[in-house]
Amino acid sequence: MSESVKIVEKKAVPSGATMIIGLPDVGLVGLIATSYMISELNLEEIAYMDSDLLPPVVVLHKGLPHAPLRIYGNQNLIAVISELAVPAPAIYTVMREIVDWGQAKKVKRIVSMGGIPVESRQAIKEPKVFGAASNQELLDMLSKRGLSIMNEGYMVGPQALSMRYSVSKKASAIAILAQSFYNYPDPEAAAMALKELSKISEIKVDVSKLLEKGAEIRLNARDIMKRTQQEMNRMKKSQEYDLPLYV
Amino acid sequence: MSEKQRKRSIFDMMNEYTEEFETLADELMESTFSGGPSWNTETCCLQALSNVFITPREVIVTADLPNIKPETVKVEAVDENLIEITAKMKKKVRFADLGIHHRQGEFSSLRCQGRIHVAIDAEKMKISCKGGILEVRFPRKKRYEIKVE
Repeated sequence: MSESVKIVEKKAVPSGATMIIGLPDVGLVGLIATSYMISELNLEEIAYMDSDLLPPVVVLHKGLPHAPLRIYGNQNLIAVISELAVPAPAIYTVMREIVDWGQAKKVKRIVSMGGIPVESRQAIKEPKVFGAASNQELLDMLSKRGLSIMNEGYMVGPQALSMRYSVSKKASAIAILAQSFYNYPDPEAAAMALKELSKISEIKVDVSKLLEKGAEIRLNARDIMKRTQQEMNRMKKSQEYDLPLYV
Repeated sequence: MSEKQRKRSIFDMMNEYTEEFETLADELMESTFSGGPSWNTETCCLQALSNVFITPREVIVTADLPNIKPETVKVEAVDENLIEITAKMKKKVRFADLGIHHRQGEFSSLRCQGRIHVAIDAEKMKISCKGGILEVRFPRKKRYEIKVE
């Protein structure tokens, strides 16, 4: 555990669960998908992150203060969300701590939910979802279950670090990335990501309410999207548009 | 001072300059993005998210306008470099609808502004709105080719 960041457990944390990470990023896809999943599956808050690297913020819900970066769970599932854009300089420490904590809790698998920015998103009716994995075995499993694989490309930000640290710890990690707007909240992409998640896990979430509430979510998510864009710029997120060179 | 030391100090200076530039860019970003709340109770407007893309032939402005009446969309040139987009929402939104009870106010419109740093022909703009995403395309004013001898 790093000194500048720690995860404080409030309740018993299950062992051997699947850990879903949905931090603010492109189109807020991961955050919207994971928050919706938490609410649909009635997951309880089991832990939160305390760190001097995060802004001095608490979020009030029903009058009570909560840490912005929280962890929810039940017997089989752990879900990590953040209601504030994680500052770019803190992202390494935060992600390293999440992966380390997950390892300590013997999570079965780490699944990062997120978006892939596409310029012509408004012309796409049903966003495609792509997968990436920390090892060949997992990649084959994704393929077998019908997920398109992101064969070449750059990942930048929380998913990239979750993957990098998982590889170094020999942990099983998957990234589920839906085509999305870069800096507009994209509930449709989040719904597609959740649909694909159900193909590769036992996590089944009915996304109809998410699609119905799409406009409302877009309206409410403007501020966090704006702040997330600022951090994405600092992380040089636009590199995800680049073509990699590997000869 | 040896030649090697002199070279290193030039690189150090360049690094310092780059760091300074990055700090300035961050500060500029901070002031651009954190300029006040995303709502205005006097004008009853919520600020919409928007983007400006400049291509060789066009300037494309997009705005995320959820829950609006498409027929109420207005695109106006405030000045040569600034356009303003407004649209009325299908239903008024109050702070209470967002679970916020320590503020009062209701909002009936979405509004955003986009700064354009190249010359455009505003009269030839084309507007489309799909799924609450507004797209305004402005042709760029005629370019002049410089002959290479």
